[in-house]
Parts: sequence; C-alpha cells; structure tokens
Amino acid sequence: MKTDALIDALARDAGPVRVLPPAVRRVWAWLAIALSFAAAMVWAIGPRPDLAERMVEARFLFEQGAALATAIAAALAALALTVPDAARFWRWLPVIPAGAWLGTLGLGCLRDWAQMGAEGLRLTPDPQCFAYIALIGSLPMMALVLMLRKGAPLRPSWTLALAALAAAAIGNFALRLFHMQDAALMVLVWQAGAVALIAGIAGLCGRHVLRWPGVPA
Amino acid sequence: MPPVSGGEGRQLSPDQELKRHDPDMTPTREGDQTRATTQSRHAALDALMRAAQHGDSRAYHTLLQEVADRMRRLVAARAPWLGKADIEDIVQDVLLSLHMARATWDPARPFMPWIAAIARNRLTDHARRYKRRQAFDQAASDLAEVFSTTPGQSHAEGVVNLISVRRAMSDLSPGERRAFSMVRLQEMSLAEAAEKGQTTIGAIKVAVHRASRKLKQAINRDGKESE
Repeated sequence: MKTDALIDALARDAGPVRVLPPAVRRVWAWLAIALSFAAAMVWAIGPRPDLAERMVEARFLFEQGAALATAIAAALAALALTVPDAARFWRWLPVIPAGAWLGTLGLGCLRDWAQMGAEGLRLTPDPQCFAYIALIGSLPMMALVLMLRKGAPLRPSWTLALAALAAAAIGNFALRLFHMQDAALMVLVWQAGAVALIAGIAGLCGRHVLRWPGVPA
Repeated sequence: MPPVSGGEGRQLSPDQELKRHDPDMTPTREGDQTRATTQSRHAALDALMRAAQHGDSRAYHTLLQEVADRMRRLVAARAPWLGKADIEDIVQDVLLSLHMARATWDPARPFMPWIAAIARNRLTDHARRYKRRQAFDQAASDLAEVFSTTPGQSHAEGVVNLISVRRAMSDLSPGERRAFSMVRLQEMSLAEAAEKGQTTIGAIKVAVHRASRKLKQAINRDGKESE
C-alpha cells in the first residue's frame, strides 16, 4: 500500500476519539475492580478465623500495606508505560513499595529465626499459594490488559510484567486474608516467589499480548 | 553498518534529528526568528492533532501528511543505505502507530515529544528486525560456505564442487550472479555492491541469499549423483 493511500484511509476512517484519562485516575478504576473481585473471592473461600487478631498486628498490617502499595504502583507504572510522552520515572515507582515488602519479609525471617531458631525457618511445600494468587489475580490481570491495550505498546515486556506484578500482588494481598500462613520465609518463598514468577512469565509474553498494528510479534 | 537507531555512540532523538534536517527548524543567524517559526509550527501541529481528536478528518489528513514528510526526511538522513521501499515501510509503521495511539495524546501537552517517542520506538523496532534479518542472511551464507569447504574433503570432491559451482553459476539470473560475485567473490560490502549495482542493499542481500541457496542445492545434487 502506498503511503498516500494509507493516509487517505486513516483520515477517512478516523472519527472523534475519547482522550484517555491520566494513568493516575485510571489506576483507581482498576483498583476498584481488582479489590471487588478479591473481596468476593475471600468471602467465597472464607476468611481465616484469626483475621481479627491479625488486623491489629503491626507486622501483618505493614506487609499487607506494602503488598497493596506494590500492586497500585505496578499498575500505575504499567499504565504510564503505554503513554508515549510519560516521564521515565514511573516505571521505577514499584521499586519502593516492593523493596519495603521484601524488606519486611526479610526482617520477618530474621525475627522468626531469633525467636524460634531453625524451626522458624522451616520451609515446607505450599503449592496452593501459587494457584490462589494466580486465580485471584486473573480477573484484575484481564481488566488491566484491556486497559493497557487502549494505550501504546512502547515497552510490551516491561508493561505486561508490571501488570502481572500488580495483579499477583492483589492476589497475594487477598490470600493472606484467608490462608493461615504467616511464617516469613514461607510467605517470602511461596507467595512473593509466586508473584515474581507470574510477573516474569508475563514479561516473556509481553510482545505477543501488546503489539503495534500490522507488525508480526 | 550502523543501525537505524539505538546502539553505540551518542545518538540524536528523532526530534533532534528532525530539527537537524528540517530547513525550517535549523538554527541560523536569525536564531530568535527561527525559534519563533519552530514554535509556531509545533503549535500548528498541536492544533491539528487536537482537531483530529475531535474527528476533523481534514486536519488529521494534513497532520499525517506532515508527519510522513518529516519521518521520510529523518529516516533518509539517519539511514541513507535504506531503499525507498524500506523508508516507506518505516513511515507507514509510524503513521499506523500514531493512529492506534492517538487517544493517548493529552491535548494539554505538546505534540512533538509525543510523536518523537513513538517514532523512536518504531525506529528501534525496525533496527532490531534489520539486525535480525542481517544475522539470518549471514547464517545462510555461512552455511553455504561450510557446505563447500567441509573438512576432510578430498581433492576430487573439491574439483567436483568447483565444477558444480561453475555450472550452477551459469544457472543464476544475471542479477544474482552479479550480486554473488561482488559480495562473495570480490568481498565487497553490501553498501558498495548496492552502489555499484545501482540498487538497494535489500535487493543485493536477497540476490546473494538466493544465489547461495541455488549453489548449495547444486553442490548437494551433484554430490548425491556422484555417490
């Protein structure tokens, strides 16, 4: 196709477009969807019996707050990456809450070790974590991908990895509300590990999910 | 051969390149006047894009034309070895990308940094694909060479191969023969061969690749016949 013909076709077919709201505003819409789904899942599975006790425990609240902040920051970064002239610093935004999250879990491991010795660092298989995080993160992930596809796929791998990090962090946030597992090392390996793995896999699929028109993956 | 963008050395952004190659945007002695002209041209682009977002197809047509002209100049200056068809491919990709992403432009912000970010992204994609294609061509030609110089070849096999190659050379089209001779036998670079043959690098590469494949097939065929 000649360029002039392409310009004619694009100009002919182009109607008015609704300008995308800023990423900061869109992220709240996504969060509402994600948290509603997570709440529904927690309700369906049944919250943990000691939830009331946990909700007044500073360590639990800090870990949950860091997971939620990671989800919001990662979703914001993913949305900002699809805006061509967005500032570069957005993509590094999740580093702060994710660092705080991992840091808390790391400190938790040390505390468990100090209190219980080797028993506090016992690692047993807990594959349910991955399944629950993937399940609860699925709808938030789909919603975020639909939102991302309205933008420009400038950094598809980074964008999808950040989106998956956001969705999986929501999954982990919800998981802690019904899954009786608080040993820091277990949470670090099986829960944070599952979040990282999901983000990594999504990153590898980025170019196939988010791509420019007319260009093979 | 340098890539279209990205890679080693200090590289100018498409926006900066655009200014370097756009006569209206080049700083001159009348610097202030030129700056004012540049600003008014950028403001005109902002206005066109704003109108396009509201569904004004004529404004959108003008904008696309303007972007296409600028991209054409930029790519031709940045990658002079590319043929016209390759340049048009890149221009069309940028236009399609602009079209797809036009809802992401915030009318409160300038248009140029926005389109420059898209152009930079598309140029990088093209550079990556170009490098991949080049690597593939190199692998194909290496394969052909490996087939004709396998260790342990007897003198007789070498002679048979030589005869086969000579015979196969006569089966090549004049263009393939000429391209193969320049690049593989005279060891000219693709750019030199393209200049001498008054054609594009892409055409030379395709011709060399086809010729290598035909020669390899001829050697394989003759080898099997002599077994």
